[in-house]
Amino acid sequence: MKISFILNKENVTIDTDPMKRLLDVLREDFNLLGTKEGCGEGECGACTILLDGKPVTSCILNAIHAEGKEIETVEGLSQTKLGKLIIDCFDETNAVQCGFCFPGFFVSSYHYIKTDGEKDLNKIKKALSGNICRCTGYKKIFESVMLACEKLN
Amino acid sequence: MKFIKPKDINNLYETIDNMDQQYLLAGGTDINVQIKNGTIRDPNIIYISHLKELSGIEEENNSILIGATTSFKDIIESRIIKKYIPLIHNSLQNFASPLIQTSATIGGNIANGSPTADVIPILLVLDAKLKICSKATNREVFLKDFFTGYKKNVMKNNELIIKIIISKNVEHKYQAFYQKVGSRNSLAIAKVAVAGIKKVVKEKIMDIKLAVGSLNEYPRRLFKVEKYVTGKTLTEIDFNKVDEFLQQEITPISDLRSDKEYRYHVCVNLIRTFLNE
Repeated sequence: MKISFILNKENVTIDTDPMKRLLDVLREDFNLLGTKEGCGEGECGACTILLDGKPVTSCILNAIHAEGKEIETVEGLSQTKLGKLIIDCFDETNAVQCGFCFPGFFVSSYHYIKTDGEKDLNKIKKALSGNICRCTGYKKIFESVMLACEKLN
Repeated sequence: MKFIKPKDINNLYETIDNMDQQYLLAGGTDINVQIKNGTIRDPNIIYISHLKELSGIEEENNSILIGATTSFKDIIESRIIKKYIPLIHNSLQNFASPLIQTSATIGGNIANGSPTADVIPILLVLDAKLKICSKATNREVFLKDFFTGYKKNVMKNNELIIKIIISKNVEHKYQAFYQKVGSRNSLAIAKVAVAGIKKVVKEKIMDIKLAVGSLNEYPRRLFKVEKYVTGKTLTEIDFNKVDEFLQQEITPISDLRSDKEYRYHVCVNLIRTFLNE
């Protein structure tokens, strides 16, 4: 089945199984390897992308869910001014250890800062509550998002 | 395995009328996990997310209508829901995670029929009705009458849930309660969930609805407990009696998330908390 959507600001069309996991479409059909598979059941957030501007777990979505929609992945978002600032903040607070969960945290953080951006720890915790990190703990991750909010104000 | 994307709602009715075994795909948050772990093999899939008639929240006379494929995020953010049914707005804040809330749909949470489904106890105490349609039929079923067993319900193979209907005034002059107990706030499958609404006049409980999740084959109302406490003041309620009726209405099990004794005691305590509020 032919499925068309906008991927990181470009119009794309693929011919694929409509039930193929959106995560696999991104990784296999477009070689966008930043989006990771962790649990594969929507619980860890390593595969987070933006679908029409909202963060979702791409491992439990299908190719058909992309049809006519706009998708942004870590590759696209990290090239924006805001994306670069967020990466600098994660860097500054040493929030990333093994890095596997980082693309997911990055996308959720990007969405929070873009749509709300208040330097409020509880709001940030809630916004990132769908992402799990198994190395560092969350304190530094929250600090980096707080820092990004502060820099933008 | 077949994949069908109906062009409109009539085409959808037509399609399911001609199929024996099919799964409707909306948000996909349950079915994709079931496909991955092998619970569902080679399914016939009918995609319904693109059908606008199935999505959205509207007011109609004294009712709120929620389309079956409306996402939890849209429900939580809806001004109509916040204004008329704050219990839904408040209770769903910790539903799954912000990421799942964007995809998961209210109709899917009901149709999947998990004993732990978060939205069902809430809708039960709100006395929600489901509008269920097929090519030739159109009926409304109270949610309290919808489930017949573990993941079983009254729908025929060619029917689907179109809308969830809730009275606008359902919370007017009522106190509402919802507590879900899980291992963490986000992404927790409930060990116990208790929802309730009650109308108290001069310390007397005039009307009450209680519902529980994760304690039976499907979430259900506690009709016996409700009946016992109705018409009584707090001092007139014998909590041993409440426990006795509760034991007749819940069948907690021990599983990987919790054990039955814990579930029972937490349920008792939550009901007491609500009655004492």
